[in-house]
Amino acid sequence: MKLTVAVSGINTIDNPGPGAGICRALKESGLEVRTIGLAYDALEPGIYLDQIIDKSYIMPYPSGSKEAFIDRIRDIHEKENLDVIISALDAELPIYMDIEPVLAEMGINMLIPTKEMFRLRDKLRLKELSEKIGVKAPEYISCTSLSDLHKGTEKLGFPCMVKGPFYEAFKANSPGEAEGYFVKIAAAWGYPIIAQKFISGDEYDVIGCGDGKGNDMGVFAIRKMTITKLGKVWNAVSIRNDKLISAAKDVVKGLSWRGGFEFEVLVEDKTQDIYVLEINPRFPAWVYFPAGCGINLPERMVRMLTGQEYDTHSDYKSGKLMIRYVNELVKDISDFEKVSTYGESGEVKK
Amino acid sequence: MDIDKLSVLAVSESGFIFDPVTGHSYTANATGLKILELVKAGKNEDEIKAAIMDEFDASEDEVTVDIQDFIENLKKYFLV
Repeated sequence: MKLTVAVSGINTIDNPGPGAGICRALKESGLEVRTIGLAYDALEPGIYLDQIIDKSYIMPYPSGSKEAFIDRIRDIHEKENLDVIISALDAELPIYMDIEPVLAEMGINMLIPTKEMFRLRDKLRLKELSEKIGVKAPEYISCTSLSDLHKGTEKLGFPCMVKGPFYEAFKANSPGEAEGYFVKIAAAWGYPIIAQKFISGDEYDVIGCGDGKGNDMGVFAIRKMTITKLGKVWNAVSIRNDKLISAAKDVVKGLSWRGGFEFEVLVEDKTQDIYVLEINPRFPAWVYFPAGCGINLPERMVRMLTGQEYDTHSDYKSGKLMIRYVNELVKDISDFEKVSTYGESGEVKK
Repeated sequence: MDIDKLSVLAVSESGFIFDPVTGHSYTANATGLKILELVKAGKNEDEIKAAIMDEFDASEDEVTVDIQDFIENLKKYFLV
């Protein structure tokens, strides 16, 4: 059975989206898959990765009209006969949550979180999330002014973490440093800024996928070895930490999580206690790493959505290393012309 | 000394040590590897000292310092 799967987040830039990794995982799976890239810009690198993405289309921005978004998918569906869409960007998830029933009527299946799950994973609701899943959260205070920051850091003490609403986090050792980071982050990413209690430990990530009924479809844990300035994993090693795996499974069970996720935690050095930092409501950019280690979550998701049997095991080896690297492609300007003029790559069907 | 965490370490002959639970890796020289092996086996400091002096050409003072340093490092890395 040949399937057609559309995937977003194919912006493999310095803050990479997960789309290219998802497509690579699907291409290397046991499925016969045609992959369709859904891009928002004609220069998203995934559009030009012909070996893993068969065809790409430019989408209207998810912040625009819902009707225009549905119309574009309908147009792509008429040409491609889509079986599944895997949404891989936080910013577009709300619109997909709204239109999922419409897509289902068209015969396009998705496995994405519900609005309540999406609301709970907001960085500013960490305490509520922590109580719901039974995993500790570091004490934090949301700040929209320097006055909030002063009050917050007075309560938290130093050192403390100063974090942006989307990206960047800095360890501040003094009120002066905290103020400096506050201004820097606010200028780049806006408000609120989060002042968080500093806990000495290491950051770990667990990727997984939930079936929406409280069952996980496999999980895979890593230690971040190097991260970028925005806090994105660049190199990582697979680990077998039963406590961490069990906490991730509890998240799936406790929230009846639906779809891919990345569970970001900090493990305190002294106590080995786990603190939840964030849950990302989609597969992370390193989704190919577990696939390369035998836990192919995009494949499992597609199999589930198309009524096929799928694995749910989490049997993988620790000590596998992920090395991310940068590469260049040489393409012709006519490739860019097609995407920027017609809104799609390759042969244009009219 | 709680040595449970040492039992899961993957120790290579080259001195490369990988902790599959935390993902941390370390390197140790031949003396360090021997001390690690003895600590893992539950030997006390005197037994470790005797075994090291038996295998390596070093004075009792040097061996005592090496063992104490090594165990301090294990504590620093939360391995014991």
